[in-house]
Amino acid sequence: MAAIQVPTDPRLFRLAEGDETRPRLLGSHAPESDLYFWPRRLRCPVTRTPVTDVDLSPEGVLYAWTFLYVPRMGSISFGDTGGYGVGQIDLPEGVRIQAPLLGTTDDWQIGSPMGLTTFPVGRDDDGNDLVTFRFEAVR
Amino acid sequence: MATKLARDVYVIGVGMHRFNNERLASAAMADVAGMQALDDAGIGFPEVGALYNGYLGGGLTSGVGIAKEFGLTGIPVTHVENASATGSCAFGEAVHAVAGGRVDVAMALGFDDMNRMGGLGRSGGRRMGAEDVMLPAAFFAMWATRRMHDVGTTAETFAAIAAKNWNHARANPLAQRRADHEVTIDEVLGSTMISYPHTSMMACAAGGGAAAAIVATREVAERLSSGRPLVRVTASQQRSETYTDGHVFLGAVIGPAQMTRDTAGDAYEQAGVGPDDLDLVQVHDAFPVEELVYYELLGICGDGEGDRLVAEGATRLGGRIPFSTDGGLTARGHPGGPTGLAQIHETTLQLRHEAGARQVQRARTGLCHMAGAGSVCVVHILQRTEG
Repeated sequence: MAAIQVPTDPRLFRLAEGDETRPRLLGSHAPESDLYFWPRRLRCPVTRTPVTDVDLSPEGVLYAWTFLYVPRMGSISFGDTGGYGVGQIDLPEGVRIQAPLLGTTDDWQIGSPMGLTTFPVGRDDDGNDLVTFRFEAVR
Repeated sequence: MATKLARDVYVIGVGMHRFNNERLASAAMADVAGMQALDDAGIGFPEVGALYNGYLGGGLTSGVGIAKEFGLTGIPVTHVENASATGSCAFGEAVHAVAGGRVDVAMALGFDDMNRMGGLGRSGGRRMGAEDVMLPAAFFAMWATRRMHDVGTTAETFAAIAAKNWNHARANPLAQRRADHEVTIDEVLGSTMISYPHTSMMACAAGGGAAAAIVATREVAERLSSGRPLVRVTASQQRSETYTDGHVFLGAVIGPAQMTRDTAGDAYEQAGVGPDDLDLVQVHDAFPVEELVYYELLGICGDGEGDRLVAEGATRLGGRIPFSTDGGLTARGHPGGPTGLAQIHETTLQLRHEAGARQVQRARTGLCHMAGAGSVCVVHILQRTEG
C-alpha cells in the first residue's frame, strides 16, 4: 500500500483532488478591491474589507529565476545537481509566488508558462510522505 | 507630508569597531564603539539622556548589560531590532528622542556578529517547506535576472559595482574586506558562483562589529563644537511596505523596491533638498543589483539609466556622486545591528572632511539608506553646517 502524501503546511497549499492534475495554492480574494493574495489573509490589506478563501490557479508565468549553488535546502537534498532553482511565478489572479523550480537552467525562460507540482521532503512521525510544492516548466 | 524635525538635531560623536570575521565578543566591540563616540563628542556617559541599542543576535538583555559598562546613570535603555535596518532604526529613535524633546542628548549603539545568528527563513520547529528556500542571495539574484531581462544589464555591470566597493574599502581601515590590490571586474566575475548571476565577491561581507553615534540639540552641539563643522540630521524617515503589483507576501527578503522611492521622497521633502544636492550616498548594497536599482529609486538618475552611471564611473570616489564610500555592505561589511550606524559614522566623517584617503571633495550633504527584512526602509540625510 502506497504511503499517504501530506502537505508540509496545509495552510499554504493542498494536493490535487478528483480529476485535478496539479495541487493548488490556498489564497484569499477580496471582493471589494478584487485583489487576490497568497498566503491567505485575515482581511484585505489594501481596503481592510473581508476576504474569502479561494484556490489559486495552478499555472502561471515565470517572472524571475535564479539557481542557488548550495547543495541542500535546509534538510532537503537535491541530489547531485549542485544546487536548486528558485523563481517568482505570476499567477493569473495577479499573485506573485516564490518557490523552488524543477529542472535545470535551460528549462527556465522569463515569461514562459509554469505549473505547480509537488516533491517529497521526508516522512512525518506517522510514516506519511511529506511533500511541498514547486513549479515546473509547462511543455 | 514629511514635516521638519521639531528641534534641530546634530551628530556630535561617532565611533566604530572595525568590522571583522574574527568572532570577537560583541560586548567588547560595542564598548569600543560607544567609548569612541563619547570621546569624539567630548562628553561623558552621564550627559547621555537615552540609549538605543541595535542588535539582532545576542540575548534579550544584551543592550542593558552593555550599558552598565558605560555607567549606571539610570537613563532609559531600549533594544531596537529591525533586521538589516536595525542600526538605522536605532539612530532614528535617537534622533526623534532629541527632536521630540524627550532628551537633549541620545546615543545609538549597534553591535552584532552575523556568524553567530540564525538566518532568515528559520522555521522554528515547523516542517521545512518551499517557503523556506528564499535565501537573501536568491531573492536579490532574482532582482538581477529580471533586470537583465528588462534593461539588458550584464553580469559585468554587477561586477563593476562590487569591484568599486571592494576598492573603496581599501582606503577604510575599519572595513572587513581590505584587498591588497586593485580588485578587477574579472576577479569578481571569477569568484565562486553562489546564486546566478551573483558571485561570492558580489555578496556582502557577513561578520561582526560595532558602531555608535551620539546626537544632540543645536545648543549642545554648538557648545561642544570647538570650531569643528557641525553635522545636522535634516531628515529621518522610515517606512514599511505598501501594496504593489506583484506583491510578494511570503519569502520576500525585503519589501517592494518602491519602498525606497517613497522613503527617499519623504526624506528629500523633510530636508528640503533633492537628489542633485547630494554629494555622497550609502545604501543597502547587500548585492550589487541593489545599489544599481537604488541609483534610480533615489532619483540619482532616471529609471533604466543606472547602468550608464556605472559605465561612466559616476558612483566611484572621484565621480559625480560616490556611493558606498567606505566599501558598503559589500566590503566594509554587514554585521547586522551596527551596519546602519557604520553608514552614519562614514557620512559624518565625510561631512567633517575627516575621511582621509576616501574623502569626497567639498562634501556637504550625504544620504544613508538601509533596507531590512520583513519590510523596512530607512533614509537619513545629514548636512554639514559650520560650527
